[in-house]
This record gives sequence, C-alpha cells and structure tokens, in this order.
Amino acid sequence: MSRVRYGSRAVNRLSRRRVLAIAATAGVGVSVAGVTGLSLAGETTATDDGQPLVISLRDASKGTFDIFSGGSRTTLTDKKLAARLLKAVKR
Amino acid sequence: MSSHREAPEISKDPVADSSDLYAFVSPDDPDTVTIIANYVPLQLPASGPNFFEFGDDVLYEIHIDSNGDARPDLTYQFRFRTELRNNNTFLYNTGQIKSLDDPNWNRRQFYSVTKVDAHGKSTVLAAKLPCPPCNVGKLSIPDYSSLAEDAVKKLKTGEKVFAGQRADAFFVDLGAIFDLGTLRPFQDKHLVGQKLFNYAGKAVNATDKLNVHSIAIQVPLSTVRRDGKKKVRGRDPGAVIGVWTSASRRQVQVRHGDKKNADVEVGPQVQVSRLGNPLFNEVIVPMAQKDKWNSLPPTDDKLFAAFVEKPELASLLPVLYPGLFPNLDKLNKAKTPRADLVAILLTGIPDGLIDNFQNATGDTKADMLRLNTAVPPAKSPKAFGLLAGDLAGFPNGRRIEDDVVSISIRAIAGVTFALVDETFKPDAAAGLVEQGLSIKNVSSGLLKKFPFLGTPFDGFDNP
Repeated sequence: MSRVRYGSRAVNRLSRRRVLAIAATAGVGVSVAGVTGLSLAGETTATDDGQPLVISLRDASKGTFDIFSGGSRTTLTDKKLAARLLKAVKR
Repeated sequence: MSSHREAPEISKDPVADSSDLYAFVSPDDPDTVTIIANYVPLQLPASGPNFFEFGDDVLYEIHIDSNGDARPDLTYQFRFRTELRNNNTFLYNTGQIKSLDDPNWNRRQFYSVTKVDAHGKSTVLAAKLPCPPCNVGKLSIPDYSSLAEDAVKKLKTGEKVFAGQRADAFFVDLGAIFDLGTLRPFQDKHLVGQKLFNYAGKAVNATDKLNVHSIAIQVPLSTVRRDGKKKVRGRDPGAVIGVWTSASRRQVQVRHGDKKNADVEVGPQVQVSRLGNPLFNEVIVPMAQKDKWNSLPPTDDKLFAAFVEKPELASLLPVLYPGLFPNLDKLNKAKTPRADLVAILLTGIPDGLIDNFQNATGDTKADMLRLNTAVPPAKSPKAFGLLAGDLAGFPNGRRIEDDVVSISIRAIAGVTFALVDETFKPDAAAGLVEQGLSIKNVSSGLLKKFPFLGTPFDGFDNP
C-alpha cells in the first residue's frame, strides 16, 4: 500500500540551519514557495529542486515538527524553534 | 451499493471513491485476467459544462497479491493530468469531437501507468495515454464507441489498458434495501412491509443510466501468478491471486488563496479509499469504523474479522422477515462464528468444500477479491456464480454480470454455512431470497471485449 510504501526520510537530511532558514522564510506551518505540480509519471522526492516544503508543528510542548517534502514526511524535534514560532504567532 | 459512497468521509470525495472492483479471467483472451476498478460513482450523464473526470491529485492503484500474505506483489499505479487547450472559453468542446486529438476538445485528460513490483521497484510503462471524453451527447460526439475504442491501448509489456467514462453496470435496488432492508420481491413478508403490501414488488435498479469512471487493465496470467507460471492446476495455491484497489491523496494540501502562489500538495500518499470484495465495507463494517477501514491495508483486516464472524445483517434477517429464517435465528443465538463467511471474504475457500474448487490464500485474514486463475471463463455465466455451480463467478473473482447483492444476502442468510457444518440445514428462504435484478436490468448492456463495460449514457438523451 502507498501508505506503507512511502517511509519517512532520515531527519539528518535536513540540517538545523536549513530548517531555520525555512522557518524564517515561511513562518509557522506555511510552505516555502516553489514550483508546484506533480509529475504525471511518478512521485516527486524530497531532493527535487524547487519543490514546496511544508512544516507542521504537531506538538508545541515537545517541539515536534512534521516536515512534508515531495513524497515524504520527516519528524524533527526542536523546542527552541517551536518556542520562537509560537512567539511569532503570539501564542 | 457495492461500494458507492460506502463510508462517511469518502462519500464526500467522489473523485477518490472506489465504487466497484471486478476481476475475472478474460472471456476475450483467456490467457489474461481483466481487472476493472470503478471510481467517481453516480454520474448523471447531463453534467455540462464541467463533465466528470479522474482526480489529478489522486493516486489510483490496483494491487495483486500472488502469495497469500495480503501484501501487493504487483501494483499498477495510475496518475492523471488534465490539460486545457483554450483558456478563453467556458466550453468542454467548441465543436464536434471526432478523434482523441480533435482540436475542438478543450479539456482533455491523460494518464500514466506505473508498475511496482514486490520490492517496491517502480517502472513507468506508459507516460501519457489519452482518456476518451465524457459522452457529452450525439451532437458533440457522433461516434462515441469508436472514440472509446481508440482509447484502449496495448502496452509493450503485454498489458492492455483503458481509463475513462463507462456506463455503471452494477445493479442494486438501493432504495428498497436501505429502507429497512426491504427486498421488493419479498416486501409482503417484511416486518413493516406486510402492513403496506399484499403482493410481491418489482425491483428497481437504482444505478441504471448512471455513469462511472473506470480504470481497466488486462494482464497476462503469467504476470500475475506466483512464479510467473503460464499453466497451473486449479488445486495449486499458485493459481490464486488476491486483488484490491485503493485511492490515495497527499497528506498535506495548502491553499494559498492568492494568484501568486499555486496551491501545494506534498507529503506521503495517504489512502482514503479501498475496495476488495463488494459490500465488505458497506455492509460488514460498522459505520463508526468505515473511514478507518478505508485507510488501512488488507493486512490489518484481522481487526474487522469479528464483524465477519457475526455479521449484523444475519441478526437482522430473522427480525425483518418474521418466521422465514428460524434456522439462521438459532445459529445467531448460538453465537457460532461464521466460518463460511470468513472463508469467502477473508481467507478464500479451501480445497474440499466445493467439488473441484478452491481459492484459498492461507491463514492471513484479508479482504481481497480472490480469483483462481486456473478456472476458465464460463460459456454460460450464471448470475449466482459459485452458489449456482458456476466456478468462474463470484466469489471466485467477480464478473460484471454476477448478482453480488443476492449472492451476499444468501450467504449471510446461511446457505454457505452448510459448507462448514454439515448438520446445519439452511432455511428454505435463504436459498430463495434475492433482490430481483439481473444484468438484464442494466440498460447499457455490456461489450463482448475489453473493457467490457458498456458505452456511457450520453447527456443529450439522458438528462
């Protein structure tokens, strides 16, 4: 099944610096602008240049983020980043 | 219905809603299996200006298990893309459509076919195949049948494919069945109906003259069988395949709400619709768990086995039709697990229960349409399939003309329990009960060759 087949990518593929850059650009749970649309013949992957990326703060208290990119979901934990984002949206 | 709008969430997402799944050894090419997965159900033919189409944002899949573990050994994926020719018209077609590349056809849809093996390796078999248009009307499309025939494509790897609008050939008296389980031929025997009627009613095919979008594929038997065998004996476990279809959507969708940034869809595919045996999610699974069932793979169906062992409908029949099902009533009250239904729906029918037949896939309980591919197509198919001694019919796979509603009701009413308990005597009514419809109540008729489903009803004559 698709649900099973597409596994999460390793967290270390995204550096902290990269995530911070994304956060600074996109704000909370917002995608980075990029080329949209999916390939007719296949899935896009996280390594596709210019593909959108969406970060979702799943658990603010634990600083757990889901990062959606191409056909993958990656989990990341960063309490400080969560706190900064919450401050940005005045929560 | 078989699986039209069968769960609360998917009923609101028709583009991804699987409504019927068929799998049968092809009568037009007996060395192949034909699998048809229908989506976008209940289409009114007159649907302009925005005629029905597949979802560009949906991943459609047909899965085949060849070794009985309820995991796909072979998956065909179908992805669609819509293209607009003319941005300055509101029309689907600006003149007559006489070919699949006719410049008058404004909104066209194309699809790719990808094959995924048991190890997850993907191979794109076709990158851009055309769907036929919807059947707008005879003025717009003077020869729809030829146009649709042109959309049947043979792939280099041996498969034949078609994706596009067809007439829905599923037949069901939906209005009566979901009005307190009424079967019109027995309405005067019904708990409430006997107060309203003193005559047997005539069934109504609620899905007649409606269209659907079909994904059809014809695959060489050697491609779907375990070990790639061209010939296999019926008793060989390798003769049996399990088939199901699924539709998935990206986990995240962001609507930007402005002109500068297009909407975004990213993340893993998340399954939103599944279909193996007809009526499984519709009639067996409780409403509170139907959405969950749609999200899970067949390997998780042990979670639902209890609903197969003690189906709700079996307990309702003696109540709804007083005095007609005394033996079923006793069976229900004894709380005897329905091993017959578990075999039919979750594990396959083992060798020895029915003469010269088996379609067992092992102990893994999973809802798959099981087909013994060694059984050749019947010369004279019987609507009651296996129950009528026609080994090529449901629940050995499923043909378009099989009366799966009546077969399922009879099975639940107890006719198949005698297969696993010789001391059980099915009620006379269990062998007679039926919805009162057949493929003759499908106005479109069927084609004699792939993709078998009839020409969709056109919008001009069928408002």
